[in-house]
Amino acid sequence: MKTYFDITGDGGSNIFEQVGAVQVAIGEKLAGVKHRLAIGSGKGGVGKSTLTRQLATALRQRGNACAILDADLNGPSQARLSGLQDVPLLPGAEGVALPRDANGVGVVSLGSVVPESEAVDFPSVARGDSHTWRATREFTAIAELLASIDWGQLDYLLIDLPPGAERTFQFAEFLGSQTSFILVTVPSDLARGVVARSLAALRNTPNRVLGYVDNMNGYWCDACHDVRPLFPAGDLVDLGIPKLGSVPFDPELAAACDRGELAVGKDRPWWVAVEKLSEKVEQAIESKPDKNTE
Amino acid sequence: MKFLCVPCDKPMQLLEATPPDRGSVSLVYSCDACGYEFAMLTNPQETQVVTSLGVNLGKDGAGESKCPFTGMLAGMDTAADGIRWTAGAQERMSSVPEFVRSMAKTGIEKYAKDHGYIEVDEKVLDEARSHFGM
Repeated sequence: MKTYFDITGDGGSNIFEQVGAVQVAIGEKLAGVKHRLAIGSGKGGVGKSTLTRQLATALRQRGNACAILDADLNGPSQARLSGLQDVPLLPGAEGVALPRDANGVGVVSLGSVVPESEAVDFPSVARGDSHTWRATREFTAIAELLASIDWGQLDYLLIDLPPGAERTFQFAEFLGSQTSFILVTVPSDLARGVVARSLAALRNTPNRVLGYVDNMNGYWCDACHDVRPLFPAGDLVDLGIPKLGSVPFDPELAAACDRGELAVGKDRPWWVAVEKLSEKVEQAIESKPDKNTE
Repeated sequence: MKFLCVPCDKPMQLLEATPPDRGSVSLVYSCDACGYEFAMLTNPQETQVVTSLGVNLGKDGAGESKCPFTGMLAGMDTAADGIRWTAGAQERMSSVPEFVRSMAKTGIEKYAKDHGYIEVDEKVLDEARSHFGM
């Protein structure tokens, strides 16, 4: 009796071919993207989205063409961060036109089309059973976005990942081996423990992990004119990968993010740190992988 | 998923697919060699899992729509505030992924209304793109 692999085609439903066609379309649309950089963590609330936004701004200021894909479909924040909440997706010459912020950074986020007062929802014939299909539908949605946007020529496409160690791994498989990762943590063992799990999962993929960023490493106090500690000092879990940067929290930056303003504080420690980070990211991504740490 | 006619040891072919009924799709397969037919009747969860891949269900992927909820989405194509869409503008919106198209249209209709248009045509789409700096 014939087995599955003895039979060519699928009898006429062409489901396999349809899925493959989307992958081809993604490849075509991303052909002009030099570097794909996923910003993940595993842990929620460590500032992935804010850091992604600021890193894109800094890379842009260094002369790179950049765009951000907000892959956190359920909690999209890049539209607000970029001041693009009311900018609809519009058809362009070669697919959907890429919305851009005031600095020229492209931003694709469901926050542009779904009001914050509404949950991101997908119609379903299987209501009450979303645990069986929702993750698949979300990845399909991201695939459809990747395949429909006119990304053009980019030096960097930054992908702002949702929280969840398992998601980090799933995105590595979904985005392919040419996508490099930066992991974001805060200086606490609680966060680093989760990031360590993400890292362990990524070790089972061919993707490069460029290193990690210690976010919210202290906060800038305007009164003291100094960076003050935000987490207890002490020895922390060693992630065993390069530390790309250390960025302090700044209430002024947080306020600018809420307002969707372009926050470039030349004299603020967080911006100095992000500028250094962008330089280090450029160097890391252009360098050959270090087999011992990546 | 593939189906094999065991007596003939031949792959079976999809003959027809009926549109979803309460989430269930009926797919009729036949064997070209002996003519035997059978139907696969999906439950709503199975339908949903497969359509979550963003595919058409039907012969040669030619189902009614990528998603079996087209009727609902089509209903949303009728603009609020009486804004009409020309066929050309509708056609251009087909490049916007289906799952966000109706929401994107709402945003464009708001732009049209704010700028005194009662109809969205291709010129309005171009103007909106320019307005939003794309």
